[in-house]
Amino acid sequence: MINKKGQDEMVGFAIIIIIIGVIILIAIGFLVNTREENAIQDYEIESFIESSLQYTTDCQDSLGFISIRELIIECSNNNLCLGGNSSCYVLNYTLSRMIKKGWTVSPQSSIKAYEFFAMADNQSIIMFKEGNKTADYKSGIQSFARSGVEYSTSLNLYT
Amino acid sequence: MKKKGQIKIQQTIFMIIAVTLLFVLVGLFFLSITLNKLNKEATSLSEKNSLMLVSKLANSPEFSCGDSFGSNRPNCVDFDKIMSLKRNIDSYSELWGVAKIEIRKIYPSTNNASCTNENYPNCNSLKILNKNVKSLPYDSVFIALCRKQASQSGPYDKCELARLMVSSEDRT
Repeated sequence: MINKKGQDEMVGFAIIIIIIGVIILIAIGFLVNTREENAIQDYEIESFIESSLQYTTDCQDSLGFISIRELIIECSNNNLCLGGNSSCYVLNYTLSRMIKKGWTVSPQSSIKAYEFFAMADNQSIIMFKEGNKTADYKSGIQSFARSGVEYSTSLNLYT
Repeated sequence: MKKKGQIKIQQTIFMIIAVTLLFVLVGLFFLSITLNKLNKEATSLSEKNSLMLVSKLANSPEFSCGDSFGSNRPNCVDFDKIMSLKRNIDSYSELWGVAKIEIRKIYPSTNNASCTNENYPNCNSLKILNKNVKSLPYDSVFIALCRKQASQSGPYDKCELARLMVSSEDRT
């Protein structure tokens, strides 16, 4: 009777050890295999915005072709390009294509969605997005000032 | 009586083995957490190194726009200067301590042509340095690739979006 009880205890203990072992091994496997699948780095987004702002657009003012940075200012003032196009239209058209060329945005890729904002003194000038947003995202912000107005642009990439 | 003693010994041995196994598993668990942390730190350091290396290149006098396109621009590479550099790359091949340097136009991308003196600037990629050594994967940053563009009203500054890609030599 005592032997039987001892054997039962041993079997119970063995089962507990096995269960704990399996749980720990699963946890170890999970921790070790957690790799940074998200290959996007914050500095890449920062460099993207910084370089995009310098891009020469098709919009012309009296001085010549203007950059995205100038175009954001023109758009905030609702100005037109010399050809008659709305500066906001050209801004939206150019930037959305640049983002699509710069990053692969699709449900199958590592970037599921993006969101771009341009603001002047915390008031939205332009905003556009594509894809289904997720909880994880990386973002970059660039600010600049002109004639006492502070402009900021930000890009969020949802992974 | 003898049998009972043997069972007691068996129980003790089993307990010792089980407890040791438990401690080993718990040890492995904490080891994996530490390894995971180390891995993250290594990734972060590698990210910083990559950023420093590529940014250093993008803003080096041989690559950067300087004041040629208005005030000092960060992450701006002078395409005209790079074409000239490409012709004399043998004198610079050891300067940056990297194995490969390439520039790829992102927007607008018209074709996949590699840049030569004949098709410049209507090309898409430029291999500035391409050492025949085993190299690591490319690290890259976005750059504004600027050049002087001729037009009816005179030359103007034309900046496009590109990626500056750098690969170090794999010394392992």
